[in-house]
Amino acid sequence: MKRTTKLIALLVSGSLAMAACSAKTDSGGGSGKSTFDLSQKTHGPNGEAATPVGQVAELTSDELAKVKDKHYKVAILHGGSSTWFQSMEAGARAEAEKLGMQIVLTTQADFDAAKQASQVETALAAKPNIILTLPVDPVSAAQAFKPAVDAGVKLVFIDNGINGFKGGQQYVAIVTGDHFGMGRTAADLMSEALGKKGGKIGYIFHDADFYVTNNRDRYFKAVIEQEHPEIKIVSEQGFTEEGATERIADAMLTQHPDLDGIYVAWSAAATGVLAALRAAGNTHVKVVSHDLDATNDLQIAKGENLYGVAADRPFLEGQTMIRLAARSLLGQQTAPFVIVDPVKDSKSSLVQAWHDSLDQEPPAEIKKALGG
Amino acid sequence: LNQGAGAEPNAPATAAPARGKWIAERASSLVVYIGLVVIVLFFAVTLRGQGFLTADNLLNVLRQTAMVSVMAIGVTFALSAGEIDLSLGSTVALSALVGAVIMRDGNLVVAVVAALAVGVAVGLTNGIITTKLRIPSFLVTLGMMGIVSGLARNLTNLRAVPVTNSTFTSLFGSGDLGPIPGLLVWTAVVLGIAHLAYRKSTFGRSLLATGGNRVAARYSGINTDRIRIIALVISGFCAALAGLLYAGRLHGARYTLGDSDLLTVIAAAVIGGTSLFGGKGSVVGAVIGSLIMGILANGLVLMGLSVDQQMIARGVIIILAVALSLREKREA
Repeated sequence: MKRTTKLIALLVSGSLAMAACSAKTDSGGGSGKSTFDLSQKTHGPNGEAATPVGQVAELTSDELAKVKDKHYKVAILHGGSSTWFQSMEAGARAEAEKLGMQIVLTTQADFDAAKQASQVETALAAKPNIILTLPVDPVSAAQAFKPAVDAGVKLVFIDNGINGFKGGQQYVAIVTGDHFGMGRTAADLMSEALGKKGGKIGYIFHDADFYVTNNRDRYFKAVIEQEHPEIKIVSEQGFTEEGATERIADAMLTQHPDLDGIYVAWSAAATGVLAALRAAGNTHVKVVSHDLDATNDLQIAKGENLYGVAADRPFLEGQTMIRLAARSLLGQQTAPFVIVDPVKDSKSSLVQAWHDSLDQEPPAEIKKALGG
Repeated sequence: LNQGAGAEPNAPATAAPARGKWIAERASSLVVYIGLVVIVLFFAVTLRGQGFLTADNLLNVLRQTAMVSVMAIGVTFALSAGEIDLSLGSTVALSALVGAVIMRDGNLVVAVVAALAVGVAVGLTNGIITTKLRIPSFLVTLGMMGIVSGLARNLTNLRAVPVTNSTFTSLFGSGDLGPIPGLLVWTAVVLGIAHLAYRKSTFGRSLLATGGNRVAARYSGINTDRIRIIALVISGFCAALAGLLYAGRLHGARYTLGDSDLLTVIAAAVIGGTSLFGGKGSVVGAVIGSLIMGILANGLVLMGLSVDQQMIARGVIIILAVALSLREKREA
């Protein structure tokens, strides 16, 4: 009896503590009406204007010969692992081969800043000339990448920058997707999916301080609110772990049985939303998200819940990173912030989207479902 | 976590063991040292001229493994008492964040003390709930992991906190003592104190007796609850210290710190000869285990293996290492 009382006391105090902590402000894509200025363009973390990838020219045959002569060494320090990272690496490898460079090592940090700091040190032992990476924590990465800067290694970033670092000084450039463009593409897809009549949608955003996802989420929301009066966001919920989206979607469907659409921050996180819809036997709700994913794209091909996704072009981004590094090694000043156009992936554009984004054929099941 | 009690001769508090057994026990703990040497030799040969054997790289490994070593020393106490501490990874994050936040607008000493107090408080809570409510520490610390993680996320609303106090960063993590990295000094100091407590003190003997056979220990007059609580407090304290070292090394703190360390830490302790079932262990072994894990990570990357290949190779080598040390014990 005494034990039970203690246990209850413990639980009560625990939940009180949690309740006290739960009064928090929002960090990510945010709830509440958006006052976002839609006329702004995707810009770098230090406010750098974006340079379209098309303006990063291929090397001339003279430049190519000079670079090839040096047999430069490249280290790729991935932030995490997924098809997206693989595709970026494939692009980098393809370009490196053309330029006579050798990829001497690859690592992935599981988005753990401490692990990444160790991997930078390890990579430096192999004396690379170039490091391609996604800095997982813009704050602590300044210290983690300092030895690489000191050693004169050419750093090229994808997606994230590092606080206090400047393009052309500590690093060569950041290459990334057009975040705002992707947010707009996702909004276009949602509007297409719901048709002229519009409808009620749920908005599931990435609730963390992360430049890329925050930009995409906010822009999507702003376009819907400011340009699509026929579409109403009736429920907003953030997540940090992909596994949580199924519960979130369940709750949204319970509270809003008449929901017509759901936006979710990226495709792997959409898997939970699609599972919730499947479990509820709901074939009506249309889902829109970001990034290509073999499993989810099968739904697009079959015309099921997932209507479409906006994607960037990791293969092209990987190629561009190597090209920028080569230009920097030739002593040229390069654009500090380079963006690639978004890819719109819906049933009618699926095969092309896979080529544009990942430089791959879609998996056989998807082609079969498309009737090809 | 106490079922290993009868299976092995693991109550070192008894009188001097027979000579044969003494040699056998030494042989089993020797395996981990041999393992370390073999792995270093392997990489030294295969990675000739690729930077592995440079002083800089080896110092890097020592620097990189310091935090895991400190945590592995701490968890060795918990494991030896027949307990486990799953909350250590989240404690790392919370202590680092508490230290960083207080340092931002306050006193360095207060920040350090508060950060370490986080570890002690987590350990104490774990210990009291485990012993007084008689709930297995596996479940208590699993729950605590969630609570502490949640608090760490909430404290700064998922934002990373920069640490700019140069006194702090050079003391914890980023500084050097002459040619020796400060992190190595920290590991050595923690190891020295822990080794004395573990091997040479009454507390150490009581700890192993408690983990080996709690009932027998209680009958011989040991306050086993107190010992178990202290063991979990030591584990929490070491995790908090690791948090400060991370904050000093990275010049910042973030809620994800320590996220992926838990299994590495426990693997390091077990490879180093600490039983998952209590009553047997070695803090020196834990540090060697941590070095093995660190050298593996370093060497496999420098070999130019793909991430997938690195994971497979690391898994195979860990199983081999543990299998070897277990075989020795069975023969003993």
